[in-house]
Amino acid sequence: MTQHEVVVAGLEHEFRSRGGAVRALDRIDLTIAPGELVTLAGPSGCGKSTLLRILAGLTQPTTGTVHVGADPVTAPGADRGVVFQRPTLYPWLDVRANVEIGLKLRGVPKDERRAIAERQLEVVGLADAADRRPYELSGGMQQRAQIARVLANDPDIILMDEPFGALDALTREKLQAELLDLWRRTGKTILFITHSVDEAVYLGSRVLVMSPRPGRIVFDEPARFVRGGELVPTDEVRTLAEFTDLTTRVREAINH
Amino acid sequence: MTRPTTADRARALLPHVVLLAVVLAAWTAVAASDLVSPSYLTPSPLEVWNAFVRANSDHPIGGGVDRIVRGEENYYLWEHLLASLQRIGLGLVFAVLVGIPLGLLMGVRAIGALLGPYVDFLRSIPPLAYIGFLVAWFGIYDTSKVWLLFLAAFPPIALATLNGVRGVRGDYLDAIRTLGAGRLSTVTQVVLPATLPDILSGLRVAVGFAWTTVVAAELVNGLPGIGGLAYLSGSQNKIALSVACIIVIGLTAIALDLLIRLAERRLAGWRGKD
Ligand SMILES: Nc1ncnc2c1ncn2[C@@H]1O[C@H](COP(=O)(O)OP(=O)(O)O)[C@@H](O)[C@H]1O
Ligand SMILES: [Mg+2]
Repeated sequence: MTQHEVVVAGLEHEFRSRGGAVRALDRIDLTIAPGELVTLAGPSGCGKSTLLRILAGLTQPTTGTVHVGADPVTAPGADRGVVFQRPTLYPWLDVRANVEIGLKLRGVPKDERRAIAERQLEVVGLADAADRRPYELSGGMQQRAQIARVLANDPDIILMDEPFGALDALTREKLQAELLDLWRRTGKTILFITHSVDEAVYLGSRVLVMSPRPGRIVFDEPARFVRGGELVPTDEVRTLAEFTDLTTRVREAINH
Repeated sequence: MTRPTTADRARALLPHVVLLAVVLAAWTAVAASDLVSPSYLTPSPLEVWNAFVRANSDHPIGGGVDRIVRGEENYYLWEHLLASLQRIGLGLVFAVLVGIPLGLLMGVRAIGALLGPYVDFLRSIPPLAYIGFLVAWFGIYDTSKVWLLFLAAFPPIALATLNGVRGVRGDYLDAIRTLGAGRLSTVTQVVLPATLPDILSGLRVAVGFAWTTVVAAELVNGLPGIGGLAYLSGSQNKIALSVACIIVIGLTAIALDLLIRLAERRLAGWRGKD
């Protein structure tokens, strides 16, 4: 797989409206290496979604640049998949067709895209729900389907905006573990936004913290839990002393 | 919830049957009485039914003449109905072909601001106001009627489409763009399907509008045509036939409406669930 690093340089963003200007992001410099799972935590309203939308190409920054490899990001593209906070599955399509839609856009033949969709639905545990409409699924299932839709598109980079924020604790933990497995298996580059410190430390191979408005990166540390040269199994991570320690420091960074 | 049984359905139907019977009985009573004279002005339900059957068959012309004629005015009643339906069908096809793209285009803010007043203006005109002008331009035959129906039907379709486009969730558009869609596929894969429920509501309004318009438009050179036949028979004192036409017009309008509602339920059942 030829993957590229994501380089954010001198990024600033200001929303201008009738009420005046809101400074959402302030001088962000950030490099994400291929295969990292970077989590970004911060209080709500600090600019996390704004940064994600700029990386996705959905919002143009006021100043600064984003590059993926040598290419500047100026518009959305299928190389950067987005999992939105609120599921954006299309209610006029069944779940399978929702998962296929990115492939359909690229003209992948019907049989092939169906096979890919079925496989991705299998991966997220939704094989049985393929024929249902999104509104017939629970919130957790909808989020799974949205992830399958992004995976089917096989992007190099996956941008996730608080995807598990609205789920109950049990479902959230299950999906977190599944995401970790998936990342370890596929080696995708992932930026995962959350307002939960526990989630940030548990999932991230690197944890970032953003300050309240205007958003700035005020904390940036690796968070790989290794024991004897091996990654600690996902179900044991939360019991590690290093985990608790990092959680405490991230929490302090958020509260200054 | 249990499924309604046949008995439940029969019970739900009962009030409707009773009311219909009462209406028909009252009508029969009025027709039989001398409340209105001459009596041909108040045909009984049976006379209307007979006129309806006659109009759909070959029958002697009557008045002691042996000649057999075909339906009314040389067309069966269902052919008159079909002629009217063909006109509105044609008018609606053009209205859809113009109205939907126009509504989508008007979804682009600048174009909407530019064209909106014109569409609003056209919508506010009672379509029959055009008829003289259209006859002058396109003659008294079907071309002018189809134009009229087009003018009646496309503003509601365009405006409903516009309304739908404006209501498309922004994150639906964001999602398809991040999945790799360009402008055209964004429209075909998201904007159009998301707007379909509104388009169908617009179509329903348009069909109702077109139906009232076609019936009225057939007052002038409207044969074959169900509106033309209703008017002609009334003016020739064939009241029973005229009433039969009126009932057919009303029932057809209800049937058309039901048809579109059915399509709405099938194609836009997801509405309100996203
Ligand atoms: N489209 C917008 N127009 C104006 N202000 C916005 C817009 N989007 C976000 N903001 C403002 O920018 C700031 C950062 O928002 P956001 O990036 O959504 O924060 P977060 O995702 O961290 O909660 C907030 O103060 C928010 O009100
Ligand atoms: Mg946010």
